[in-house]
Amino acid sequence: MIQHFPILSIMVLFLGAFLVVLVGRSRIARTAVVSAAVLTSFALMVALIKPVMIDGQIISYWMGNWAPVSGYAIGIGIEVDALSLFFGLLVSLAVMLSGFYSFKYITQDDSPDLFFTLYLMLAGGVMGIVLSGDLFNIFVMLEVMTFAAVALTAFRSWNPNAREAAFKYLVVGSLGSTFVLLGTALVYGQCHTLNLAQISGLLSVNGINPTMTFAFALLFTGFGVKAFMTPFHPIAADAHAAAPSSVSVLISGVFTKTGVYGIIRVSYFLFKSMGMSSMQTGLVFIGCVSMFVCVTMALNQHDFKRLLAFHSISQIGYILTSLGLCSAIGIAGGLYHAINHTLFKGLLFLTAGAVLYATGTTKLEKLGGLARRMPQTAALFMVGAFSISGIPPFNGFVSKWMIYQAAYEKAAETGSIGYAFVTVIAVVTSVLTLASFVKVGQSVFFGELPVELENVKETPLSMRIPMWIMAALCLLTGVLPGLMQQYIINPAVRATLDYKGYIDAMMGEGYAAAHLADTVPLAEAKYTFAGAWNPAFWLVLFVIVLLGVTVAMMIGKSGRGAATAIADDKHDTFFGGEKNTFSQVGGGDLFWGFKYNFRRYLNVMGNAHSGVVNDYVTWGVIDLALIIVYCFIFM
Amino acid sequence: MMLVNYIGAVLLLATGFYVMMTKENIIKIVIGMGIIDYGLNLIIVSIGFNEGGTAPIFTMSELKPGMYFVDPVPQALTLTSIVIGACVTAMALTLCIKLYEEYGTLNSSHIRRLRG
Amino acid sequence: MKNTDNSDLIVKCLADKFLPLSLVLGLYVILHGNISPGGGFQGGVLVSSAVLLLYLAYGYKGAAAAISGKILHKGEAFGAICYIVFAMLGIFYGFNFCRNVLFSRGEIGDIWSSGTIALMNYAVGLKVLTGVGFLLMLVIGLLAADPAEKAPDASEGGELK
Repeated sequence: MIQHFPILSIMVLFLGAFLVVLVGRSRIARTAVVSAAVLTSFALMVALIKPVMIDGQIISYWMGNWAPVSGYAIGIGIEVDALSLFFGLLVSLAVMLSGFYSFKYITQDDSPDLFFTLYLMLAGGVMGIVLSGDLFNIFVMLEVMTFAAVALTAFRSWNPNAREAAFKYLVVGSLGSTFVLLGTALVYGQCHTLNLAQISGLLSVNGINPTMTFAFALLFTGFGVKAFMTPFHPIAADAHAAAPSSVSVLISGVFTKTGVYGIIRVSYFLFKSMGMSSMQTGLVFIGCVSMFVCVTMALNQHDFKRLLAFHSISQIGYILTSLGLCSAIGIAGGLYHAINHTLFKGLLFLTAGAVLYATGTTKLEKLGGLARRMPQTAALFMVGAFSISGIPPFNGFVSKWMIYQAAYEKAAETGSIGYAFVTVIAVVTSVLTLASFVKVGQSVFFGELPVELENVKETPLSMRIPMWIMAALCLLTGVLPGLMQQYIINPAVRATLDYKGYIDAMMGEGYAAAHLADTVPLAEAKYTFAGAWNPAFWLVLFVIVLLGVTVAMMIGKSGRGAATAIADDKHDTFFGGEKNTFSQVGGGDLFWGFKYNFRRYLNVMGNAHSGVVNDYVTWGVIDLALIIVYCFIFM
Repeated sequence: MMLVNYIGAVLLLATGFYVMMTKENIIKIVIGMGIIDYGLNLIIVSIGFNEGGTAPIFTMSELKPGMYFVDPVPQALTLTSIVIGACVTAMALTLCIKLYEEYGTLNSSHIRRLRG
Repeated sequence: MKNTDNSDLIVKCLADKFLPLSLVLGLYVILHGNISPGGGFQGGVLVSSAVLLLYLAYGYKGAAAAISGKILHKGEAFGAICYIVFAMLGIFYGFNFCRNVLFSRGEIGDIWSSGTIALMNYAVGLKVLTGVGFLLMLVIGLLAADPAEKAPDASEGGELK
């Protein structure tokens, strides 16, 4: 009975999507169908934790009972090992929480039944990708997911930019799908099978022919488009800003993770190319460029959700860097950061959605001082901002610590200065992230309340509950990292490095030993933490510091006016003291000196993100050409 | 395997990429996506071809056990790819109509509100 | 776009004659999908080309009067649900998903010889028929609303390069 759970958890979502079309008009029926679908899917995933993660069993399931005949796979397979279940849990958790949030949120738009149909199709498509064991099945589910995401981006008719964002997303997204399909066709031409386990058994790194190098570059770039790698990130910024917030949670938290999952499957399992140091350097380079470019672009933004989108891609850069290091702690850090990123980025986007629901705008210049009217939303935003900046005791600290340690150990082990530079870039990006969120917090929640926002109300209760659950999970995964690692992260790390077990589970015992002529050792599956720290101590220290700051602010509050202090600060720090009537620093312009000093770099970056579709396609094709040339030289 | 098919498919792919990169009318960009789909489908079908094989259908009484036939799996992949291509074209053209209503132009250099 | 004159007699006459032909051909391709080339998608697209024939002959108003969008929309969901139910029959009978559970009925070459695949084929045919038909009705509706909003002498194609 256990082996039916993965396919049931995919089909329940699709069945729910089509039932919503039939009963969509009445609100109660729609709410019931959607709740039942997402809860069932999540429950089935949780029920699989004990057999797959704790006992180490790999579920292999052939559709239609078409078992392999004389060593050849002829059916479509579904294979769930700990890595797939890890991503499946992440996806179904985000879908469930965001689904409950959107019941109230979508009342501001028209046609909510179409929204839930597309939402459940998106969820079903993503679950299909992470649980599938067949390469073409992954491609079809990738397309289903892309369509649903594009349609949801164009959903809002009262947002004038939504159609442009959806068109750009469709053009560049279908470019990525083209690359994946071309890679799949070439792999089929070589191996005459589409099953991931059998392809992994038949391909070997040392005897690779040029067609397979080409196929690897295409598959890698195709999944990288879905993960919003560096030249493909401008469309992500447009799509996140235009989509409704509960869908932005899914695009940033779930969609990008399928790209990361695809890159892991292609690099670690199919081609087993991660053992070569040139491939590691390539992926680490792409991750670092993603991190740095996006966090500097985020300083320039004036729109709340666009800024959050740039930060989201920068965190994906962290995950790619950590996965490219190919050591056990690197993979553990990357996977831990994946689940943390879903939680805190989801929380931040839901807060942005709450602000949009209450005030009707997301422009940083028009907002301000909302903490007085929406105190709980402000507290949730602060939890998310602390998590993304990597402040203890929240969860960002743990995963970023593991990533720094992984990069540092790699630098010590190989002795090359490049990896130490990676650690420096990671830390600098973390600092710039904190700076950016201080600016956003000041301009949206603290500061002065504009006149037209006098009567905003606190977010409704049914929208606040998923946000509190996410904040609690952020705190829990930060305070209890040992438990997370033992039950969830470590089985996934072991599964990533154990491709022989994956192959044997699908094709029968002994297949891997008979067919794999040579093996490239990837890494040892053990690691230890550096340094001794106890998260409980950090929690106590944090509470004490918070109490102290609160007391200090309440005492010193009486003598402070709204408009007097700010202008003087600007003069004292940056000018010689002359008074200038028009130098008011708004809340959204907090780092104006920093931006002025780097204006040449920021101008070049701003012009590179030109907004023309042809430019984005050109960047994409140039990037594909560079990756193909790199793979041919080094593989 | 037939060389003409592969050369033709690569030329179609190159033409499709060129159209998507340089043409400014958004309907021409959609046409470029369609040309890329044609090239891709041609490659997939040509991979499954075996010289001298016959069609893999049982009921026409051409196929007896032990005969040599072409590979039916790439044909299924091509069918799926054609369906997906049709859906992408439909969605893209609908978005073009809506963009024309909103912006008044079909030139992609002028549809640039989201930038920087 | 040239203003199509809807009182064109030849087009109407030909459409009247060809409409039953295309419907019958499409349904034949759907029904025999498991034993001859064709199947759900191809037959469904053939049947839904009836919408285009009606549009060419009678304009948007004629097509909308003959075909109701709501029934097509619900029919699409119904076809998809039928497909999932037929695929789940395998799980109910104790095997895996998508398993053929109607065995040994007839020899090779009959319609009923394939088992569950025939039923799934019909479900796919129904879904594609209604889905593509609904899509065509939507796009025709969008285009029909356009020239009424914009002035006839405005540049229609934008700037072409």
